[in-house]
Amino acid sequence: MSQQETERAGAEPEASVEVALVRAVLEGDRDGFAQLYDLYAPLVHGIVLARVPRDEVDDLVQDIFLHAFKKLHTLRDGSSFGPWIAMIARNRAVDFHRRSKETVAINDELRGSDTQNSQAAEILELIRSLPDAYRETLVLRLVEGMTGPEIAARTGLTAASVRVNLHRGMKLLRERLGFMEGL
Amino acid sequence: MNEDYLWDKSGEPDPEIQRLEEILGPLRYQPKPFATPTNLATRRRRYFPLLAIAATVLLALLAAGIWFRVRVSHNSQPRQANVTPTPSPIQEKTPSREVIAEDSTPASPVIRNNKPRNRSTALKQRDREEALAAKEQLLFALRLASEKLNLAQRKTQGTPPANQIKNQHRVG
Repeated sequence: MSQQETERAGAEPEASVEVALVRAVLEGDRDGFAQLYDLYAPLVHGIVLARVPRDEVDDLVQDIFLHAFKKLHTLRDGSSFGPWIAMIARNRAVDFHRRSKETVAINDELRGSDTQNSQAAEILELIRSLPDAYRETLVLRLVEGMTGPEIAARTGLTAASVRVNLHRGMKLLRERLGFMEGL
Repeated sequence: MNEDYLWDKSGEPDPEIQRLEEILGPLRYQPKPFATPTNLATRRRRYFPLLAIAATVLLALLAAGIWFRVRVSHNSQPRQANVTPTPSPIQEKTPSREVIAEDSTPASPVIRNNKPRNRSTALKQRDREEALAAKEQLLFALRLASEKLNLAQRKTQGTPPANQIKNQHRVG
């Protein structure tokens, strides 16, 4: 069995869990949605964090799950819950920038004065300056602590794409960090 | 750079990646319970409107069928009634000589003609009553169908209760 097949086989049981949970929620089981939230909150958090100021992330994550809860009946295939909610999160992040450009600028300035997490904030800014595909994968790996196969299974991307994104993204980040100087 | 560690955290840990993980760790998602709003409910896939529309169409077809049948049966009944009692106009107008010979008193065409006319007018009146009844039935069926449609529309679109809908008096 090839590596990709092994990874897919590992992702299948989770997909069946999602299918069961989505079905349960559609039949009125609210606890089922809480379980989906527990499973996917780190993914959504990572996707949003890669695009939106930190102060706004938690509220946006709640909004995204609320929206997903309302629109769950439109999801035809329960096993696609991950890619579906990831797409909602990306769209919401784009909407956020479209609506509140001025507010974001003020928040970013204020956050710069916070010294406690300034190093983390600086690295996060560097990651955010990378191309879309790299920054999302890197945040999920370095911030949320997900492995490559987990990222692939939950976002719906192929394992090969995630691997390439991780490798190239990390290479670019190292260049921008100056080979970890000052860390 | 240790590729395996970057990929699935296996193999020998890469110190640079580990350092990045440490620094970025505080930004990680902190588990919070998701409070599902009580006033919200997930909508199930909407089969109801389709069923309502299908039922309405079926009802309308049924009503139209009943009305058509009633109309046809009433159209055919008077014809039968007219055919039997009314003598043929040829017989009336040109009675044979034998008949004249047997019966000296000529058959008054007025009397003979009056009977079928009365009957036909009676039948027409009955027809009219039945047609009115059929019309009432059809109107009732249509009213019922439109009420069901309104109900389905209200359920699907979440419009205000029936008494707030404008022009409701026009229904039926």
